[in-house]
Amino acid sequence: MDAIDTYTQLPLSIDPATKAISTSDPSLTPEIDELNKMNRAFLALDTPNQIPPPPAPVNPKRSVQITKLKDSGNASYKKGQYGDALKMYDLAIRMASDRPTWEASGLVREELSTLYGNRAQTLMAQQAWAEAAVDAETAVEMKKVGNVKAWWRRGQCLREMGRLEEAAEWVKIGLEFERAGPDKGSVGELETLARELGKALDKS
Amino acid sequence: MDNNSTFNSSSNSTNGTSDGFQFNAAPKPFWTNLLLPIIYLTILIGSLYTFSHVYRQRKITKAARLENWFPPHRQRDIYLSLLHIDPQEASEGGEKKLSKVPDSVLKAALLRRAVEDIQRIVVLRSSKPALQTLLQRGSVGDELWQRFLRAEKEMEEEVKDVVNEANAFSPNWGQTIFQSANEINQNRLIKERIAELQSQIESEKAWWDKKRAGISSDFMKELEEESTASKAVEAAIAASKKNGSSDDDTVIVESGGQTSAQGAAKKNKAKK
Repeated sequence: MDAIDTYTQLPLSIDPATKAISTSDPSLTPEIDELNKMNRAFLALDTPNQIPPPPAPVNPKRSVQITKLKDSGNASYKKGQYGDALKMYDLAIRMASDRPTWEASGLVREELSTLYGNRAQTLMAQQAWAEAAVDAETAVEMKKVGNVKAWWRRGQCLREMGRLEEAAEWVKIGLEFERAGPDKGSVGELETLARELGKALDKS
Repeated sequence: MDNNSTFNSSSNSTNGTSDGFQFNAAPKPFWTNLLLPIIYLTILIGSLYTFSHVYRQRKITKAARLENWFPPHRQRDIYLSLLHIDPQEASEGGEKKLSKVPDSVLKAALLRRAVEDIQRIVVLRSSKPALQTLLQRGSVGDELWQRFLRAEKEMEEEVKDVVNEANAFSPNWGQTIFQSANEINQNRLIKERIAELQSQIESEKAWWDKKRAGISSDFMKELEEESTASKAVEAAIAASKKNGSSDDDTVIVESGGQTSAQGAAKKNKAKK
């Protein structure tokens, strides 16, 4: 077990002003970049001893800001100002993805799922089916169960683009997930969409 | 005489030998008897020990020669290199020299190391049941299993080491460092997946634009065809009204094209 006691000394150097690490070995560069990024995140911490806090209770400041952006996006959407709504959602998405990486990933999933779902809805209102379909897929990917709306949105987008078979397949998978999930009551519209797709496929 | 002498000598010799035996055996009957078993035991134990020693040595060298399960642990190397680096040499070209590597850098390096450990643990855990099944069926050799066990043991040591190091930086960090590392890993997976999905936007959009253009041009064509067809039909109707003969009808219809021919034929039938 000599691997425990030995290590390879790597050619590293420190910039005394910025404290950034650099290396003369090009294969190490990506890892060193990650290290420097994390170092900067550490320096921004205000916890005692400057160590990252446990993931469970997150700093509420960012969550509040994200919620605010989302709400103003929703308000713009309701007023029909889709461009503004998109901008708000974009900002909120960027904010949610920029969380310190050691914060709870479950929360990040939840937030991003809602935001991508809302952006998909706004894009659908603008009839940008292709973008909306991708956004809805992202929303589903973040949260597969209890996300009926996002499943429905992608199904609808695929249908609008004439990809009926794909849409039927997608809705079928969605139904499988949602029927077992907590949102059993609201699968109605997904079932309606599945029926309509079935009819459309029979016709063609 | 001869006989006598031989008898004598033989008797003498027997006497002599018996005498000699008694003479030899008399002073040390106990120790000589013990010497043999002791020699026997020494040789036996010695050979067993040598055998086991050689065997174990071979096994260890064989295990050491086995390929590692994982590639070299870059993050661990970086962390330890930073610990052992001489900061005054390493800080290049600045006017003020660093007296030591800053703690934040070391902590960041340690957390990076923990993240890599988490990834390795995930790999080990997910491959263990499959490997066990394969081993039971005899699909993979024992060597692979040995390599796996060694990797597992090394990971255990590695985790303990990281926890100790973390506690040295700040009390109780050892309890949360792997939680943080796990979230970092999860977040990385999420971001990779999102980037992968969102990168489809361009191609999807291009595909849809093309398709939409195709659909609308098809639609326009259909519209045009319909209008020409209806014109042809009108012309046919007009001609048939004028002439009242079906022969002329067909001539005009043929010039109108395929779709209009059908339409006109239907109209004609309906009229008749």
